Amino acid sequence: MSSPELLGKVYGIILKRMVATGQAPHYTEIAAEAGVPVEEGRKALHDLIDAKIPAMWLYPETDYICSFAPFNNLPTQYRISVDGVQKWFGQCGFESTAVSWLYPGKTVRIDAPCLDCGAPLRVEMKDGVVLKEEPKGIMGYVAIPFSQWFNRFPYA
Amino acid sequence: MNLFRSEEHIRNWSRFDPAAEQSIVPLANIVKLFSMDMFRKRLEPDYVARVGQYAKEFLGAVAELGKTRPFWRL
Repeated sequence: MSSPELLGKVYGIILKRMVATGQAPHYTEIAAEAGVPVEEGRKALHDLIDAKIPAMWLYPETDYICSFAPFNNLPTQYRISVDGVQKWFGQCGFESTAVSWLYPGKTVRIDAPCLDCGAPLRVEMKDGVVLKEEPKGIMGYVAIPFSQWFNRFPYA
Repeated sequence: MNLFRSEEHIRNWSRFDPAAEQSIVPLANIVKLFSMDMFRKRLEPDYVARVGQYAKEFLGAVAELGKTRPFWRL
């Protein structure tokens, strides 16, 4: 098991890379940035995922980061723009509203289609405050009971 | 965990499950829940060391929801 210090470092490396670029690093890059051998970096990535920090997962049976809250490394319908530049995807509709905390002082926009009708919806936020909501009255829905979220994040 | 243009659109969605209708929440409530420290402090250098404490706070807030809506109970 990787040390708590290494897990904290790996978490920071991944999140900061996603904040900057919208893409998760490969474990070889994680190892290099953490200053550990490649295999130790790979194990640390798996240990971090296994630590059950909400919410992150690998693509099944691989070493590839699929999702790292609040972002998704695999495109979703939740397109995130920061100060007008779209490079990011939200993990889900709910986590998308938490993205603005990672960009202090900047305008974060969520663009997504409504799954019922396909028409667009848009939320603009800054520092956790909703600046604009189009249309007014946007609602959230999740089909999985809360008690099952932590074991079924990709399906929640 | 998806966003819809309105509650009517949720109920009209082909995959809507009436058994999960208690999960329907306004955007403002989602923003409030996802503004707790577990979501707000992710860039703090000691986040991983403290996430257990943040998760307890989050679960406490969700438990409040669960008092009136069993869907949100652990």
